[in-house]
Amino acid sequence: MRIAWDRLKNKKETVKNPISDNKYAFGPVKIDYSNCSYCNSCAENCFTGAISIENGKIEYDVNKCVFCRRCISTCPNQAITATHDYKLSQLIDNPDEMRKKIFSIYKRSFVLRSVDCGSCNACMSELSALNNTYYDISRYGVTFAASPRHADGIIVTGPVAINMKHALLKTYYAMAEPRIVIACGTCTYENGVYKDGYSVKESLSEILPVDLFIPGCPPSPQAIIYGLFLLLEKL
Amino acid sequence: MHIEDFIREFKKVVFNTDIEIKNSNEAYIYTIQPEVRYIVARLTDDFGLSFMSEFCFEENVFVINVVFSSRKDGFLVVLRYNADGYIDSLTQDIPRAGIYEREISDLYGLKIIGTSDTRCLVKHENWDLNEFPLRKDFDSSRKINEKNNVPNYIFESVKGEDGFQIPVGPVHAGIIEPGHFRFTVCGEPIDNLEIRLMYKHRGIEKICESKNFNLLPVIMERVSGESSAAYALAYALAIEKIMGKTVSPEIKAFRTVIVELERIYNFLEDIAGICTDIAFSYPSKKFSYLSELVHQICEELTNSRFLRSAIIPNGSGIDFAIVDKDTVINKLDKIIKRFKYISDMTVQSVSFLDRVERTGCISMEEGVSLGLTGVVARACGIRYDVRKIFPYNNYNKLFVHEIPSMELGGVYERFQLKVKEIFQSYEFILKSFEEINVDIVKTVPQIKIPDHTEVFSMVETVKGELLLYIRSAKNNYPCRVYFKTPSFSNWSGLEYAVRKEIVPDFPLCNKSFNMSYSENDR
Repeated sequence: MRIAWDRLKNKKETVKNPISDNKYAFGPVKIDYSNCSYCNSCAENCFTGAISIENGKIEYDVNKCVFCRRCISTCPNQAITATHDYKLSQLIDNPDEMRKKIFSIYKRSFVLRSVDCGSCNACMSELSALNNTYYDISRYGVTFAASPRHADGIIVTGPVAINMKHALLKTYYAMAEPRIVIACGTCTYENGVYKDGYSVKESLSEILPVDLFIPGCPPSPQAIIYGLFLLLEKL
Repeated sequence: MHIEDFIREFKKVVFNTDIEIKNSNEAYIYTIQPEVRYIVARLTDDFGLSFMSEFCFEENVFVINVVFSSRKDGFLVVLRYNADGYIDSLTQDIPRAGIYEREISDLYGLKIIGTSDTRCLVKHENWDLNEFPLRKDFDSSRKINEKNNVPNYIFESVKGEDGFQIPVGPVHAGIIEPGHFRFTVCGEPIDNLEIRLMYKHRGIEKICESKNFNLLPVIMERVSGESSAAYALAYALAIEKIMGKTVSPEIKAFRTVIVELERIYNFLEDIAGICTDIAFSYPSKKFSYLSELVHQICEELTNSRFLRSAIIPNGSGIDFAIVDKDTVINKLDKIIKRFKYISDMTVQSVSFLDRVERTGCISMEEGVSLGLTGVVARACGIRYDVRKIFPYNNYNKLFVHEIPSMELGGVYERFQLKVKEIFQSYEFILKSFEEINVDIVKTVPQIKIPDHTEVFSMVETVKGELLLYIRSAKNNYPCRVYFKTPSFSNWSGLEYAVRKEIVPDFPLCNKSFNMSYSENDR
């Protein structure tokens, strides 16, 4: 009775368009070259080496960026500003039309298995947030399976710690082909902030063929949904 | 007893020891290896100190530190000795010291003398037994070799006819982190549970050693994503303690707002998980919906859904204008009202109570001997909260009431305490906002730490008590960073909680603890 009353009173709580613009989200930084004095302060303050200055030119790799915004706050000339475009996902390494056709088969139902290989658990938190009533990812046919046998693809978070590598491979090979691999979070790209760790060796793309990479530290549910839409051709 | 009184009394019991006070509430006792066990017995038996952690650092020699805390009077005691190639096990007096010793043994290669359990903790079977990554001669850019020469991990075996084992993990059914559980079951009830972790060991402590102090907040926030802000705060407090600086009262109050927001969304997710695990879907969905709304408030405040980059040593990582105060309070107020309605509805449901009441109980004696912290400890009657005993930020003004606690130590108690703490956090946020009357301007000062200094800092994270130790080397680089994370001590509590429960109740117990694998493994 109280459930029915609460339901009637608060009506629908699911957001209609989950990938609408979000002016508070983090996006890649923008560098104003006219103000830059090439003082190297941003490169020194970058933990992951996303910003580097080589031959008098600033290189910014958004895939490595953890969006800590230290470069913005330490730049003496205010030449770096933040943007709010979270739509950073990219399909990787599938030039053949065959693979693309496969993705469109999953348009109506796509079952994922999540494997954490060493993330800080913020990514896991965001993945489980996909299932809440605000985003409700299941209305787009994306669900999380309890067994790799029922899954069409795995979504991997975190760098691959050597204690987890074996379990990751076992999960991957337990799935039926074609196995889709989604790399979720900056750590899956060259191991992110943990790349200097002694028990983090190869990155995910060296172990498994990655189809989709979702950058972000952690990627917000919006960013993950955008990535999945990109894969399933739902945009 | 004040720390000076403690030292006076201690000198009457144990003669000829060097004692030094640093950073106002840390007493360092220097001793030699043969005397360690005697002094440990005096500290725990005569002075009622509780064992917190044991760790090692290398500065020409291996120095073992045994940390004790006074949970009544709020000071730390560090017993320090040079290890002569081996560690004297403390497990006969303090059983829970075992995992700390095994960790030291794995990473520094010191043998443990006087204990039955010397299985590798961090090193899984594929490691090289003769490599010790935390030693200084192990270069920080190196990776470990995979030699597969670590002996197989032997789980407790079942004897008799009816017993059997259920292995679960490391990859679980659902969106959670990896860990292996080995249930020994006789009929329906669980006879024994053994948890094997460290699947996610990445070597964060070693990564910290290769970065200078200005960069460390980035990795601190990524030890455990769920308590990012609390880790950043622990680091900020440590740096401010070592430099002898304090931040303005506004920033202190604002930090409280941030860590309490973190507590609210985590506890909302925890109790949503408890409801999911007993298939009570409506409140479960609503709690996680409310948690999502809190995440969005966090995003508006700090541009990060996990409150990252907001807490910076000696300053503030973000701007905050006091005109935004009311919008945040209004939004939170709506959430809390809705939360009250749904949580009342939940505890009035008979089917809910039937599952959670008297499930997964831990007695107070067990809790004390396991060294539990956080909500798990408070649920079994241990009145201990870092915010009250070792106050930081503005908690000495806020936390004037009794520490909320309950007695039975079951799932229901943990659920109720989490609900209570959400209201308490909301109150703290309101009171802290009252103290913020000036706009907070973003300042990210450079940090310069003097060479060869050391400091401990403590913070109550979402999971419990976090102890952070920082020791500086030369040129603004750390020599050793050590975390005693709340999950590291609390995981053993779960093994006790599920005994004599049935296997289907395990997820429920697990979710009511909701420990972080990431901060345990590091």
